[in-house]
Amino acid sequence: MVQTLATTLVVASLYALLGAGYVLVYRASRVLNLAQGDLLTLGGYFLFAAAAAFPGAPAVSLPLAAALSALTGVLVYLVLMRPMAGHPVFAAVLVTVTLGILLRAAIVFVFTDRTRHPLQNLALTNPPRPLPGGAVVSTFDLVMIATATLLFVALFLFLRLSPLGIQMRAAGERSLLASQRGINFHGVFALAWALAAFAGGLAGIVYSSNVRLEPSLDVLGLRAFAVALVGGLDSLAGVIPAAILVAAIEVLSIRYGNPLLSDVSPFLCLLVMLLIRPWGLFGTKEELERV
Amino acid sequence: MRRPVLIAALGVLTLAGALPAPAQAPEPYRIGMTAAITGRFSAGYAPTYEAYRAYFKRVNDAGGINGHPIEITYEDDRGEPQRAAAAAKKFTEGPFILMINASISPTYKPVMTEAETVKVPLLFGGGVCPREAFPPAHPLIFCSTSYGSKWDSRMALNFIKSQSAGRKVKVGFAAQDIPLSRIELEFAEQLAKELGMDAIPVVVVPGAASDFTPFAQNLKDAGADWVFSWAPWGVEIGVFEALHRIGWKGNYILYGHQQAQDELTRLKTPNLHALTGNAMFTENLPIHAEITSLVKGQTNHPPHYMAEGWTSAMVLDAGLRKCGWPCSREKLAQALAAVNVDTKGLRGGPIEMTAENHYRRETYYKIYRWDTDKSAIVSVGGWQKLDIK
Amino acid sequence: MGLGGGYFKTSHAADLSLVDTHLRKTALAILVIVLLTLPRFASGFVLDLASQAALAAVGALALNVLTGLAGQISLGHAGFLAAGAFTTAALVERGVVSPPVTLAATAIVGGVLGLAVGIPSLRLRGLYLALGTLAMHHVVLYVAGEMQARAGGNTGFTIPPPRLAGFVLKGTVAWYYALVAAAAVVLLLSVNLQRSRAGRAFMAIRDRDLAAASVGIDVARYKLAAFVWSSVITALAGTLFAWQRGFVSVEAFGFFVAVEYIAMIIIGGMGTALGAVLGAAFVTLLPYGIDAAVATLSPGAAEYYVFPAKFGAFGLLMALFLIFEPLGLVGIWRRVRNWFFLWPFRHRPLRASS
Repeated sequence: MVQTLATTLVVASLYALLGAGYVLVYRASRVLNLAQGDLLTLGGYFLFAAAAAFPGAPAVSLPLAAALSALTGVLVYLVLMRPMAGHPVFAAVLVTVTLGILLRAAIVFVFTDRTRHPLQNLALTNPPRPLPGGAVVSTFDLVMIATATLLFVALFLFLRLSPLGIQMRAAGERSLLASQRGINFHGVFALAWALAAFAGGLAGIVYSSNVRLEPSLDVLGLRAFAVALVGGLDSLAGVIPAAILVAAIEVLSIRYGNPLLSDVSPFLCLLVMLLIRPWGLFGTKEELERV
Repeated sequence: MRRPVLIAALGVLTLAGALPAPAQAPEPYRIGMTAAITGRFSAGYAPTYEAYRAYFKRVNDAGGINGHPIEITYEDDRGEPQRAAAAAKKFTEGPFILMINASISPTYKPVMTEAETVKVPLLFGGGVCPREAFPPAHPLIFCSTSYGSKWDSRMALNFIKSQSAGRKVKVGFAAQDIPLSRIELEFAEQLAKELGMDAIPVVVVPGAASDFTPFAQNLKDAGADWVFSWAPWGVEIGVFEALHRIGWKGNYILYGHQQAQDELTRLKTPNLHALTGNAMFTENLPIHAEITSLVKGQTNHPPHYMAEGWTSAMVLDAGLRKCGWPCSREKLAQALAAVNVDTKGLRGGPIEMTAENHYRRETYYKIYRWDTDKSAIVSVGGWQKLDIK
Repeated sequence: MGLGGGYFKTSHAADLSLVDTHLRKTALAILVIVLLTLPRFASGFVLDLASQAALAAVGALALNVLTGLAGQISLGHAGFLAAGAFTTAALVERGVVSPPVTLAATAIVGGVLGLAVGIPSLRLRGLYLALGTLAMHHVVLYVAGEMQARAGGNTGFTIPPPRLAGFVLKGTVAWYYALVAAAAVVLLLSVNLQRSRAGRAFMAIRDRDLAAASVGIDVARYKLAAFVWSSVITALAGTLFAWQRGFVSVEAFGFFVAVEYIAMIIIGGMGTALGAVLGAAFVTLLPYGIDAAVATLSPGAAEYYVFPAKFGAFGLLMALFLIFEPLGLVGIWRRVRNWFFLWPFRHRPLRASS
C-alpha cells in the first residue's frame, strides 16, 4: 500500500514537472506546447552529452544540461513562437508539433536511436532506499519528487512575490495592457518559455538517470498534457492535484484493474474532463470562450 | 618479302589475342534486405544491417562468392509493416534471388505474403523466427535468429528447475503487450505447471510504460522466486530494474538480446541471468577478435552487437556458395535447405538446416550472469543443446 | 475568381460551371489525358507514388472540409483512417468480403465515430477541441490495438483484394486508376460542397460561429455534419488503404499520420480543395525527393542520417510554411497567377471590380 503510494508520487512528480511546462507556455503564448515531451528528451540528451564531455563531474554536467534546456526554450520562443504572434492559435500549436519533429530528428541525427544511460558517465549510482512502511524506492525516484517540489515552490515564490514574476502574470493575462504599461513582454514570454523548457529538461535529466534515455520518451509528454488540462490549462496550482489524480488512476489500474488500460487512462481522464468540465479543476472559465 | 610480313602479322595477331580482353564486371548475386535500421526498434535490428554490410564488404573485397560479388539492397522499414510491404514488393518485382527480414514481427506477414506469391526465398536474420521456419518448414522461409518461440521457454524453465534444488519455486512471467510475447509466456506458464512449479499468471506490460514499478510490485506481491521475461529488451530490463529498485531479492532470467552484455556490466547484479544463443564477446574467442577488428570504424554499434547479424550473414554465405552460379530463387531455396554452417564459436554448434527444418537441427543456449567476486560476466554451465523436432 | 477580364457569363449554366475559361478547360483536358495515359509510359514505382498521392488526397480533402472550411481543428484524423481499415479487417475476419457491404459498413462506422468525436465540438473550440480529438485518436488506436492482439496472435490482418462480379481489383495499374478515380470523385464533391449552402454555412461557422448563429445557421447541426462528412470519407479512404496494401496493422496509424494530413492541408493551403490536393501530392512525394537529393549529394550516406534528414526536412518545411506562407502552395500559386494577369502592372488598380 505504501509502495503504491510511493510509486504514485514518483509518477505524479514526473507529470507535474511536464504539466508545469504546459501551463507556463499556455499562460504566455496561449498555445499548447505539444513539443514538451521532446524538450524532456532533449534535456536528457543534454545531460548525456555533458556527462560524456565532463565524465565524473556531476556538479558540472547537471547544471550545464539544465542551463542548455533553458537556453533552448529562449531560442524556441525567439525563432518559432514570436513570428507566430498574429497567427491563429491552431497554426501556433502546429508550429510546436513541427518543433517536436525537428528536435526529434536532430536528436536521432546526432545520437542515433540507441538507448543511453547518462548515469554511467556521471559516476553516480541509483541505489534503492527503503522508506518507512515497507516501501522501497530508488535514489532518483526521491530526486524526482524533490525536484518537482522545489520547482513548484520556486515558481510560486517567483510568480507571486518577485517583480518579474508579477510582470509575467500580467503579460500573460492582458498582453496589450502590459506592453502599454512598459513591460517588455517579449522578454517575459521568452523567460516563460525558458522556464517551461527548464522544467521539461529537469524532468528529462532525472528520468534518464532513473530509468533510461531514448528518443521515444516524448510519449511521456503526451500523457502529461492530460494532467495540464485536468488541472486547468492556465492554473499552475491545478497541476499538482491533477498530476496526483492522473498518476493515481494509472498506477491503481495497473495494480488492481486492467494493466493494459493504464496506457490509455490519461487520455480517458482527459476526455472525461473535457466533457464535464473543460476548463479543468482550477482553470478560469473565460478561457474557454477566449479561444 | 611477303612471308616474313605474314609471319610478323600472325605474330602480332597472336600476341593481341593473348592479351586479356577488357574486364567485364561479373554479375552480382542480388539480395534485398528490409530492416528496422532507424526508428523505435532499431536497437535490436540495425546491428544486423551493419553486420551484413561489414561481412559482405569483406567477401566482395576478397573476390566474392564463386567469382561473383554480392549486391545487397537495404531498405529501412523503421519497424512499420507498410514500409516493409513496400520494400518486399520492390524486391519481388526486381531481379532479387532472396529477401532478408531483420525487423519486428508485425512486418512479417506482409513480407511473407509477398515472398509466397512470387516464390522468393525469405531469410529472417534478426527477428524472432516465425512458425514457418520450424518443422514442418515452409519451402521458402528460413531463419537464422538465435532465439525461438517455445524452445527458449523450455530452456529457461529447465534452468530454473535445475537451480531450485528440489524446492518448489514460484515463477512469475513478464510479457510485453505484443501477441508474440504474451503467447510465449502463457506457454511458459503452462510449461512451468507441468514441470511441477508454481506459476503466477503472466504480467503484461505496455511497451511505453512510464514506470515499471507497479508491474514489478504485482510480481513481488505474488511472491515470485523466479521471474522469466521474453520480450523486446526494453520491457525485459525495465521490469528487472523496477524489481531491483523495490528490493526484490529473487532471480530473474530474460532472453539476452544484443544489449545484454553491456547491461550486465552496468547493473552488476548477480541475480540477473541472460539466456542467449550467441556467445558473449567477453569470452574473447578468435572469431570475436576477428569481428572486432573487421568492423572498426564501419558501424555505429559496438562489435559485440554484431553476433546475430554476423551468424546470419554466414548462413547466407554458405547458401550462396552451395548454390553456385547461376543461382536462381529455386536453387537458392534448395541450397539453403541443405546448409551446414560452422559458426566458429559464435553459437554453441553448427547451424544445420534440412528440407523439413529451416531453423536448425540442434539449437544451443548459454546462460550468463554477473559474478561479483570475479567482477566479470560468467556463464552458468556450458552450452546446452536442444534437438529441434 | 480573378478571371482577368474578357469573360462574361451569359447563362446560368455558365455561372455554375466549375471550369469556365478556355485556359482552364484546356489545362483540365491535358491533366485528364496525362492521368489516363500515365501507366503507358511511367514505371510501376511512379504509378505507386501517384496512387499513394491520390489516396492521401482523399484524406486531405476530407480533413480540409472539417478544418479548412468548417474551422473545427481535428488532430484525430488517423483514428478515422484506422476505423475504416479495421472495420474492413473485422469484416474479413468474419468472412464478409463483399465490397459494397464493406463500404457501407465502413461508412456507418465512420459516421458514428464522427458523431462521437463531433459532439464535444459543440461545447469546445480551438485548442480544447484539438485536445479532445487527440485523446479520441489514442482511444481509437487502443481499441484497434486490442482488437489486433485478440485476433489470435496475429500481428496484423491480411486483407484479400476486393472482388466484384468476377473482377478482382489488384495490381499497380488497376489500383492507380481506382484511386485516381476516387480522388477525382471526392474532389468534385468537395468543390461542390464549398459552393453549396452547407459549404457557406461551414465557412460562416469557421469565421465566427456566434455571428453565424445569429444569422440563423444551425451551428450544432452543421458542426456535426462537418465531422460526419469528414469521418465518413476518411473511413472509406481507410478501406481503400486496407484493400490496396492488403495488410492492416495498428502501427500504420500513429499520431504522425494525423500530423502528415494536417501538414498536407497547411502546406497546400487551408480552406481550398486545390490546396488539399497539392498538399497531399507534396507531402507524399517529399520523402522520395529527399531520398533523391541525398542520393545525388552524398551517395554512401548511412541510413541513420537519411531517416532523420527526411523527418527533419518535413518538420522544417511545415514550420516554414506556417510562419512565412500561411496560405500555402495555393497562396504561392495565386501570387504567380496574379503576376501574369497583372503584367506589366505590378498591382491591381484600386477601382478594380474583381
